Amino acid sequence: MNKVILWRMLQEEIRLNTSFASGKGFYSFPILVAISGFLAVMFTEQMMADMGYFQYLEILHIGLMFYGLFAGSLAFFGNDFLERIFGYLGLIIGLPNTQPITQRKITLLYFIKEFIFYSFFTLVPAFIGGILGAYYNDINLLNLTKFGLSLSISFLSGLSFAYLISSLYRISWKTSIVGAGITIVIYLIIFNSLSVTASLEWYLNNNLNFLVIAILIPIILATLATFLITDYHEQAPVQMIGYQNRLQEYIQKFDWARNISHPAIISKERIDLQRSKTGMKMFFSFAFPLGILIFMNWFIDKGLPIQIDFNTIFYGVMVGFFGTMIYSWLNTIDNPHFYSTLPISVSEVVRARLVLFFTITWWIPLLFLTLISYMSSEINLLPIGIIVMITVGMYIVNYTAWSTGLRTNSALFDSIVFLKFFLVSVPPMIAMTLLSLAIKYSISIVLISLSSICAILALLSIFFYNRIEAKWLKETFD
Amino acid sequence: MSVIKCINLSKRYEEVLALNEVNLTIERGEFFGLLGPNGAGKTTLLKILTGQLRTTKGEADILGMNIEDNIMEVKSKIAIIPEQESPPSFLTPREVLEMVASIRKLDKPKIEFWIDFFDLQPMEGRVCRNLSRGQKQKVMLAAAFISETELMFLDEPFINLDPIVQTKVRDWLVEYVKEGGTVFLNTHLLENAQRLCDRAAIIHEGKIQSVIKLNDLDKQNINLEQLFHEIIL
Repeated sequence: MNKVILWRMLQEEIRLNTSFASGKGFYSFPILVAISGFLAVMFTEQMMADMGYFQYLEILHIGLMFYGLFAGSLAFFGNDFLERIFGYLGLIIGLPNTQPITQRKITLLYFIKEFIFYSFFTLVPAFIGGILGAYYNDINLLNLTKFGLSLSISFLSGLSFAYLISSLYRISWKTSIVGAGITIVIYLIIFNSLSVTASLEWYLNNNLNFLVIAILIPIILATLATFLITDYHEQAPVQMIGYQNRLQEYIQKFDWARNISHPAIISKERIDLQRSKTGMKMFFSFAFPLGILIFMNWFIDKGLPIQIDFNTIFYGVMVGFFGTMIYSWLNTIDNPHFYSTLPISVSEVVRARLVLFFTITWWIPLLFLTLISYMSSEINLLPIGIIVMITVGMYIVNYTAWSTGLRTNSALFDSIVFLKFFLVSVPPMIAMTLLSLAIKYSISIVLISLSSICAILALLSIFFYNRIEAKWLKETFD
Repeated sequence: MSVIKCINLSKRYEEVLALNEVNLTIERGEFFGLLGPNGAGKTTLLKILTGQLRTTKGEADILGMNIEDNIMEVKSKIAIIPEQESPPSFLTPREVLEMVASIRKLDKPKIEFWIDFFDLQPMEGRVCRNLSRGQKQKVMLAAAFISETELMFLDEPFINLDPIVQTKVRDWLVEYVKEGGTVFLNTHLLENAQRLCDRAAIIHEGKIQSVIKLNDLDKQNINLEQLFHEIIL
């Protein structure tokens, strides 16, 4: 029975993905991953020369662990968002509601499915790309295979950690924070004087004990997570009564935006944001990638022979870029089907969400940038950082809105959409990052160049914004 | 004057032909029922007629306008009850009605009347997410009825409603049609169709199998259920 359920879960995952990304886009994603694997191996020598052998391997392991964590979080918390976007979704994981199978068993099978799916969807293609790269680079295939295996174990550790957090989250969010904190502290104590993961320690020192430990870590985390799952689970209570009628008040407040979108739509979206408490989720989802970024900065500083000073302008670029996440959150609050009963277009709703992004959620990126600037003692760079942040934010969010409409999360699963997004976002970010690093060498040239890029991005923002109407006018909410 | 006109309308989802050359004309002031078993194509046709789906082939005119070229104009003149009750999750029922009134630019929206009609006062201060399915359906009906349009598309509107509300809704719809409104009702509840409709079409496997006048059935001493079974089985 387990095999059948597992197989059906894999089929379900593929069908789910191909239903919200095009089949072509979905199936070409592994090809992109294989190309990335090929390039990573092709440039291995160069990277090792720049970063150092040990640091390079360590950063790959950290990357894979975070990837596992991300994939796990997406899997275990993603269904909630999918239901909000698409309406009710009956998934196999909901089987215990109607069939004689325990929640514990079905969740464990779901975890195994996640590992198999991501392995075949990303890890195996990356490895195949790596083999091709090794052919050109004279890297020993046995070594590559061994390193690939060690990376897979690190990925599994990240995934099982996400599984444990989600399992604790079913108990309460406080338990999940405490549990995650304890696990991290224990991990740091054990691995303080060792490599960042046990599988890397095994790879580097050929000590089989570490391979056993590396395999035991995800097994222990997953077992613990599985045993914590009970069949009776009540979601955190939501406020049932006592909501004030505030629509009219907001309609009047947003009257100034009537040429952009209908004030009633903006007001509805504004109330959604407030009552769903998505602002706090946005805040934490901002803190997570920024935390990783700061950690990577610290790590690179520690590992590289030369000092790289990522300054407030660099963080302005990054924080602006993360604006995509805020827009994406705005698209996950409520199912838009009700709009299909009214004489309004998808483009009006997209523009209403843009109004919210630029008027209501601006404090989140601004707060982060100000904090980073203060902590780095770079308040003098803050005004330039803010201008860069606003310009990059406007550019990337308008592009996201134009290219993905109301389905940002699912659209970015389509590798073609994702590739376009990558090509539009990465070049200006790299250019601005390089300029931000060069500011102490030639301030005037850097400022002129930054201003020019900001001007171009601002013009492109207007270009993308103006095309939203044409692209989404005839789209349905279905 | 015809308010709905379908000419050779087809809809294909990849390999599946959901609608096959549908031809249909519905006159102003008619209570028209579209009947059929599950998966027959009822909801697909309703979605096309309300601009929620595009045709693969053929044309659909609503109130004399081609639906695909005039989606917004058509939508402002029709009210829709979709198959799945999905009022905005984080608005209260009153806020939903206020939003509809604002978007449709209604001069004097009868918000209090519809809140009373559907007994939504006890739901004041609650957001729709916390309502039962029947209560959500009441909000959807109120949002459609408050629109005061001349044409209504209802997809299984009686599902999840208690018998008392069902009766109230049926009576109101009958009055609405008497006063010149037109109703396009999708249902597989034949009893409701028999009580309400002037004419009905039976759709099966994407094709209109028969268009009937309900009065004629009485004359022929056959009821709708018998006819339905005869056509479908």
